[in-house]
Amino acid sequence: MSLRRIAAVAERIALGFRRDRRSLALLFVAPLVVLSLVGAVWGSTAQQIPNVEIANDKFTLPAALSPRVIDALVRSTAIHAKSTAFEQAMTDLRDGTTDAVVWIEAPVVLHIQLEGSDPLRSGGVGSAIQKAFAEAIASATAGAGAPSLGLSGPSIVIDQLYGGPGYTLLDYLAPVLVAFFAFFFIFLLSAVSFLRERTSGTLERLMATPLRRGELVLGYLAGFSFFALIQAIVIIAFTVFVLKVQYRGNLATIFLVEAVMVVGAVSLGLLVSAAARNELQAVQFVPVVLLPQVFLSGLLIPVAQLPDYLRPFSTILPLTYANEALKAVMIKGYALGDPLVVRDIGVLVLFGVIMASGAIASIRREVA
Amino acid sequence: MSDRRATSAGGSIPRVQEAAIHATGVRKQFGQLDALDGLDLQVRSGEIYGLLGPNGSGKTTLIRCLAGLIRPDAGSMTVLGQAPRDAVAAGRVGYMTQAAALYGDLSVDENLEFFARLEGVEDGDEKIEAALRTVDLLSRRRSIVSTLSGGMRQRISLAAALLHQPDLLLLDEPTVGVDPVLRQEFWAHFRTLAGKGTTILVSSHVMDEASRCDRLGLIRAGRVLAEGTATELTSRAGTRDLESAFLALAGTTPASASGHVS
Repeated sequence: MSLRRIAAVAERIALGFRRDRRSLALLFVAPLVVLSLVGAVWGSTAQQIPNVEIANDKFTLPAALSPRVIDALVRSTAIHAKSTAFEQAMTDLRDGTTDAVVWIEAPVVLHIQLEGSDPLRSGGVGSAIQKAFAEAIASATAGAGAPSLGLSGPSIVIDQLYGGPGYTLLDYLAPVLVAFFAFFFIFLLSAVSFLRERTSGTLERLMATPLRRGELVLGYLAGFSFFALIQAIVIIAFTVFVLKVQYRGNLATIFLVEAVMVVGAVSLGLLVSAAARNELQAVQFVPVVLLPQVFLSGLLIPVAQLPDYLRPFSTILPLTYANEALKAVMIKGYALGDPLVVRDIGVLVLFGVIMASGAIASIRREVA
Repeated sequence: MSDRRATSAGGSIPRVQEAAIHATGVRKQFGQLDALDGLDLQVRSGEIYGLLGPNGSGKTTLIRCLAGLIRPDAGSMTVLGQAPRDAVAAGRVGYMTQAAALYGDLSVDENLEFFARLEGVEDGDEKIEAALRTVDLLSRRRSIVSTLSGGMRQRISLAAALLHQPDLLLLDEPTVGVDPVLRQEFWAHFRTLAGKGTTILVSSHVMDEASRCDRLGLIRAGRVLAEGTATELTSRAGTRDLESAFLALAGTTPASASGHVS
């Protein structure tokens, strides 16, 4: 063993790092960015107060008691409640403008109708409502001469618009996981493959043939998308037929959303490869592209629950739209023609076109 | 980009049969470095023109300009009477890069088929077979390229440049890593091609190859220092061989050397 030689090797590594600012940034800055994101995302979601609509036309408590309980619920700090008609409330629930609809049926059964597409949210909303309701009953029945319920407390029925007791966590996560895997494997593959084209000199050689830049990028898109689509079929089939994930929408619609998403992923890979000098640097782009989408695209936390200052970032991430569309189709059973699904597919197509144009432009920069 | 399009759309400029390559005052800067510093070059149709110069003298930059890969900052340049990219797009230029640019994970055949399709070659199989026979690798056509030696890859790279029977061949140090026997055959083949009217621009820093060219250009610091046949250059420099001629001519300042080129 020679300390001198060991020191020489160590010093060589340090010298390499000195000229590789990107690796250094990844080493020191990336963890801080990720920790900040984790803090921002999870640190704030706990305080989210649910929006609740009270169906006043289905509030069948003894006449004198109903207004008092409704009034107490509206004043509750545990929920943001407002009193409205049942039909209007259910419409708001489907639109996502409210988290739950509550009413009371005879004798004293509290009905909580949740949206249900996100299990974490459902649990929080349910318990907040029960807390608010218990307080409201207590304050309404307190004091001399106040009407009495005649019962120690109401029984509770919780119902969900989507999902339900038969749903496991996997059923809720499947749509976003399907999108996530399809996106990142194909992104990484196309980035590294196109980078190899650049570094091995074959890109330069190709540009000295009649082949045009646009033709090259379209050829790459076709070649990789072919495999990406087969992968999408395999993932969806495995999820649905082997893991028996529950889904409502049409399989073809699910596939179409995936298809437009992976074309964007391939294009992004081609574009990113322009900014990398070698394969190590290309791999470094994986967390840069991956982490924001893990935290901000609705994969772990619904976009609606993100802090206000993070939500704008969500709107520029392609996975946000893929997740939204896939959740809508798989959990809520939306059809292809639904405006939300159409809009999401449109955004994904636009993303693909912008990335592909960027990839073409990036070839122009190095070879005239 | 725009000037290329304009040339191809507005009909072809009448082809100047005498000059396969016509370059005047070509400049190309990379950062602070003047890779080409007002270079002038005329290559006649059907000749083998040797570009001689040390590493970093601008040979590869010049060839990349001629292959339509980079655009000069200044000066004018035509290839076969067209803008470089138009000549390439028309399938009239064959380009062999300095390091073989091939797909290592594909077989020899698959590589050549790919390039044949890009160049729009008809009856690709025959052309591939002919090209492989030329470089004496017909027996290895099913081999995966990454398993072949550097010299073999160099030969496949040449075969790929020949497939579409271009009017102009740009060869960037084609014989690096090729053994002397095969080198001999390469040059015999270049001579045959030139006999059929193909113009060949070949760069090298190996002087014994240079004597096989019809004309030579000595290039240094992005300029052509001197030009002529091997005999003319040696007699001009008053030396016995090209190597010392090159050293003698390169030793003069570019300004004093540029005047005597005819």
